[in-house]
Amino acid sequence: MKTKLFMLLGVCLLLIQVRHACAQQKYTVSGYVKDQQNGESLIGISVSKAGTSLGTVTNEYGFYSLTLPAGDHEIQFSYIGYAPIKMSVSLKSNKNLDIKMEKSSSQLSTVTVTGNKQEKAVNTLTTSLNRLDIAQMKKMPTFMGEVDVLRSIQTLPGVNTVGEGANGFNVRGGAADENLILLDEAPVYNSTHMMGFFSVFNPDAVKSINLLKGGFPAEYGGRTSSVLDIRMKDGNNQKFNVNGGISNVFSRLSLEGPIKKDESSFILAARRSYIDILMKPFLKGDMKDTKLNFYDLTGKVNFKLNKNNTLFASGYLGRDVFGFGTRINMNWGNKTATVRWNHVFTNRTFLNLTTFYSNYDYSLKFNNESAKGAGEQNQSYDWTSNIINYGVKPAFTFYINTQNSLHFGLQGIYYTFKPGTGTGVEGNETSVQQLTQQHGLEAAAYLDHEWKPNDKLGIQYGVRLSNYQYLGKGTAYYYNDTTAGIRKTLVGTKEYGANELIKAYSYLEPRITARYALTPDHAIKASYARTTQYMHQLSNTASPTPLDIWTPSTNNIQPQVADQYTVGYVYDAPSGIFEISAEAFYKKMEHQLDYIDNANLELNQQIEADLLQSHSRSYGLEVMARKDIGRTTGWVSYTLSRSERQTNGISLNEWFLNRYDRTHNLNLVITHELNKRTSLSANWVYASGTPGTFADSRLEFQDWDIPYNSTDKRNNYRLPAFHRLDMSLTLKGKQLRRWKGEWVFSLYNVYGRRNAYTIYFKQNDDDPSKKEAVRLSIIGSIIPGITYNFKF
Amino acid sequence: MKKIRLSILIAMVAAFTACEDAIDINVKKGTSYPVLDAWITTEPGVQKIKFTKSVPYTDQAPAPVIDDARITLIDETANKSYLFAFANGVYSYNPGDNETLGVIGHAYRLRIEYNTEVFEAIDTIKRITPIDSISYKYEKQGESFVDKDGYVAKFHAIDIKGGVDYYWMRSYRNDLQHKVGDAFSIDGYFDQSVKDGSAFILPIQEAVTDFDKPFQKGEKVIVKLRSLTSQSHFFLTQVDNQLNSGGLFAKVLENVKCNAINVTAGGGKQRLLGWFGTSAVSSKERVIE
Repeated sequence: MKTKLFMLLGVCLLLIQVRHACAQQKYTVSGYVKDQQNGESLIGISVSKAGTSLGTVTNEYGFYSLTLPAGDHEIQFSYIGYAPIKMSVSLKSNKNLDIKMEKSSSQLSTVTVTGNKQEKAVNTLTTSLNRLDIAQMKKMPTFMGEVDVLRSIQTLPGVNTVGEGANGFNVRGGAADENLILLDEAPVYNSTHMMGFFSVFNPDAVKSINLLKGGFPAEYGGRTSSVLDIRMKDGNNQKFNVNGGISNVFSRLSLEGPIKKDESSFILAARRSYIDILMKPFLKGDMKDTKLNFYDLTGKVNFKLNKNNTLFASGYLGRDVFGFGTRINMNWGNKTATVRWNHVFTNRTFLNLTTFYSNYDYSLKFNNESAKGAGEQNQSYDWTSNIINYGVKPAFTFYINTQNSLHFGLQGIYYTFKPGTGTGVEGNETSVQQLTQQHGLEAAAYLDHEWKPNDKLGIQYGVRLSNYQYLGKGTAYYYNDTTAGIRKTLVGTKEYGANELIKAYSYLEPRITARYALTPDHAIKASYARTTQYMHQLSNTASPTPLDIWTPSTNNIQPQVADQYTVGYVYDAPSGIFEISAEAFYKKMEHQLDYIDNANLELNQQIEADLLQSHSRSYGLEVMARKDIGRTTGWVSYTLSRSERQTNGISLNEWFLNRYDRTHNLNLVITHELNKRTSLSANWVYASGTPGTFADSRLEFQDWDIPYNSTDKRNNYRLPAFHRLDMSLTLKGKQLRRWKGEWVFSLYNVYGRRNAYTIYFKQNDDDPSKKEAVRLSIIGSIIPGITYNFKF
Repeated sequence: MKKIRLSILIAMVAAFTACEDAIDINVKKGTSYPVLDAWITTEPGVQKIKFTKSVPYTDQAPAPVIDDARITLIDETANKSYLFAFANGVYSYNPGDNETLGVIGHAYRLRIEYNTEVFEAIDTIKRITPIDSISYKYEKQGESFVDKDGYVAKFHAIDIKGGVDYYWMRSYRNDLQHKVGDAFSIDGYFDQSVKDGSAFILPIQEAVTDFDKPFQKGEKVIVKLRSLTSQSHFFLTQVDNQLNSGGLFAKVLENVKCNAINVTAGGGKQRLLGWFGTSAVSSKERVIE
């Protein structure tokens, strides 16, 4: 299979070379585009020949390459919020042209941009892509004053959650574990702090986010529903800067500056919450040691070695800590590290080589020290679990000419899973319960051809060949296939040595997207993508918990495969005042995990005996209108969708709604600049309630009232609709030359709605004879927030 | 582990901003099934079995009693059978005031004849360890996990060495009409193959106390430890999950399955819910002084 792919690659290259040889003499202008003020590389900047549709956009590292016929050209660089630049270039040979762009003081540019804006959705090939930069996120109302990456993307069409405080998000009817969340290209396994309230990404260190919901280029794989690509800032390479914020929940501080001006820089950003410190004076005795905090540390350095080589190293460390007295201590978090090397081979060939490390782990500790009576033994219990990845990805881009470019590369990730180790100590006696470690190797090769034969048509097509190997050292379990829905019985086990192959899977994943411009302002788009996923999170609760472990595909767990079809339409109003887009999708998913009734997912060596795999499908229509320029900006997004599954052994084997299905989902995000120093923003969300399984009966048994669902159908009711209004007011202080400060006052859940997160059935705590349906609202009232942000 | 873990997570969220309130929801009336509540023990005196009908969840009235079934307990080991007679809302059998019906090591079959159909379920009485003692300690609210000042009581027992033993601890306040807490254990621990023959671990010992309402001076702590078969333990832990399935990480409502099988000659149609279990019991009580 692999040789075939390389042959295909060879043929493609040859064809393009031949075409190229016949064409007239052409030269390439290439370089990096950076921000004038801070030296940050600028992503997605439109680079085009003025007055024409010839052009390109800068890549994730700010690099562009544009091949034009020999002669004089006027090249323009433009992007929202930046003053456009026009450069006259006389092409007699290949040329290197690095550009620095300046933020425009007003939203309206003074230089008229003629020709296409390449970065606009109407002109790009990608479908199902939403991009937000940090400036846009900062304008949105916040929860407790904190700018939040994950909350921001939840306002985009096609994205929802099971409720506020949910750990994870759902894209186009996919489960929360189907999102590939990348922080500087390293996968992040738990994206939230405080079990869902805050995302783990420090906004001071984030440059931009891209959310891909479909039409995936062949470069992306490993998850079936979405790619959330978060890029960290490089750090100011012009001057030293301090950014910070103090709020009622936590504080942030970041330092950035040049190591050597124009050539190297660093950024170091830290956050810590301090609810527990504020609580401390009120706690006594055993509770004095109560801990309830999280912190994260993000850092990055980059070195421009020479014109053609740049090196980046970035790292992240985040931790949530919960401790109750001295008796219970729990903590969890991600660690990631990425080293990247950008190399420009020729001014038409760009390489990014990424190597990364990612680790998610948790630890729970219990002991009886403070509860121990005289003469009683020490008792303690520790429970740890982790998942570790090592990855390498060389990614090449070959800019053949203005019509053609090729993206190709290889990827490899080695996984180690330590599902759980429990260590109990009693006096002098120690007992250990350790689940077998698991190992996996995921490899992929891909090739994508981006072809724009003319102004109207563009096609990007490619293929990704992915291969996964479930490896030793470990034990493979073999089960009898009994009636679906009942725990499978073990028939045997087999021991495998280190790196010995237990089971392998290979998939060919075709990808294609196409764009056709009806007029310069209207375009239609379509895409198809097959994606596979070899990692699964085991979770049978409403939303995943930080303690839900990940499992690889094994001889018993098949990889998930999704096929997604989309068609879309984009209208970009003349002079770019607003943009309207609509997209319809249909997604078919195989082998999503499900669980038998009363499955045991904790420290269970034979967990595979309790797993089921389902067929799922989702479909929907997404509409979005956005306005990015002027004093009033914002967007409206609406999604009409359905997500459902069928699992043998559950819900009478019938199709049933997924827990994260929402029929309607409407988001309004508006920001208005009252004057230079004051701005007001609001967002309102309305979404249909998520499905729930309700008890229609109770059984009286041994003084209990056991809830029972006599229909045996899963998710047979819906929770009440969800809606919420948030507002915030930003007051900028006097913008002194050095010190810049602003106050942000925010109100979350302005009209104090108690949105139901779950509804469950229980006996009243005070009067057990009373049986009730109980609504749990994670946020039950209006939550105010104050933050003071500063920069000097 | 599950229970502690979830309750801690719920507590953390609750401490944050969450709120719970009872609401009215419109749920279609479900099919009503007969519910078997039969637990035969080694305790002396009358043994009772309840046979009721399932009712809509929020129906506050007690479930209607089925009075026309014929319920027989068969001691398979001793080859004896006992007919449970219906009176005052329950089916009962009285072996004599200080006599016991249940015998450790015996296998039992329960036969229910109802509406022309016949159901049978089996269980065995397993060995039980004695409760050595009950201890307590005064804890102050704000300094400990208790919601108000009071006594946190614990029971002390040692798991029987060799073999896998399943236990169900239930505690009461003052009398057997006031249930306080339940805990389920394997070999004094939560999971199998971790411990054997050692003391019950702290979270199970302390499950005697309701931390929201700790014991007060003068109150009597009653603890009963029952032995279980593996299948009964599995059933009860499922019940426990369903009863405590709330909060941020609420599990899906999953139905608990009954061990009574329809054995009607020629095949039956009716479904039975509930459970037939058997236990040996050790008890201890102590007044807080």
